[in-house]
Amino acid sequence: MRHHSVLRASAKILIPPILLFALYVQFHGDFGPGGGFQAGVIFAVAFILYALVFGLEKARRVAPPAVTHSLSALGVMIYAGVGFENVLSGGNFLEYNVMAHEHHTAQHLGIFLVEMGVGITVCAVMITIFFSFAGRGR
Amino acid sequence: MFIAATLAILATMVLALVRAFVGPSVYDRILAVNAFGTKTVLLIAVLGYVTERPDFIDVALVYALINFVGTIAVMKFHKYSSLAGPPADRDDFADL
Repeated sequence: MRHHSVLRASAKILIPPILLFALYVQFHGDFGPGGGFQAGVIFAVAFILYALVFGLEKARRVAPPAVTHSLSALGVMIYAGVGFENVLSGGNFLEYNVMAHEHHTAQHLGIFLVEMGVGITVCAVMITIFFSFAGRGR
Repeated sequence: MFIAATLAILATMVLALVRAFVGPSVYDRILAVNAFGTKTVLLIAVLGYVTERPDFIDVALVYALINFVGTIAVMKFHKYSSLAGPPADRDDFADL
């Protein structure tokens, strides 16, 4: 793909807006369409575009398997950690109300953390799936 | 007026689908699918106005981004028979 300069330039221009839009979907998810899963997929699309245009080897340097594997576990840990924190604080699993004194603050904090966990895991798993499929050959 | 626009976009989507099925070459099909994706973006945006839900613009934006990446992926797979691409040589890393 070395000689496709238009493709390379347009990919370089497009990757930052894609990442920014993923963050918008992530953090605006409670007011509009979106949420952790969608944001994770959009965030992963930026890495997939990078891998498509600049090659799998370079993309593996940007997102090494060790990092993506750890991140996919970290997201689940955040999700389950919020749930068990609520249990330890005297509520049910994922009952956000015990996380703060005020109802709205607690709900906001709980949803924010859980969606962040979902987003991190989905993004890391999508990147891992694409890299292993693309690296397998035909 | 938005209903009429929706119907017009649907008609052009049918035309793009016909081209994608008839072919004859791979490039015709890729171009037809790409045009179909662009029409889908327009359709979602117009439907957002019909149903008075401006949130649909976000969905249309996502569709535009995914459509672009998907077209690149299909074309690369067609040319190199692999998504990983040709093996990078040394000076390929120079402009990292």
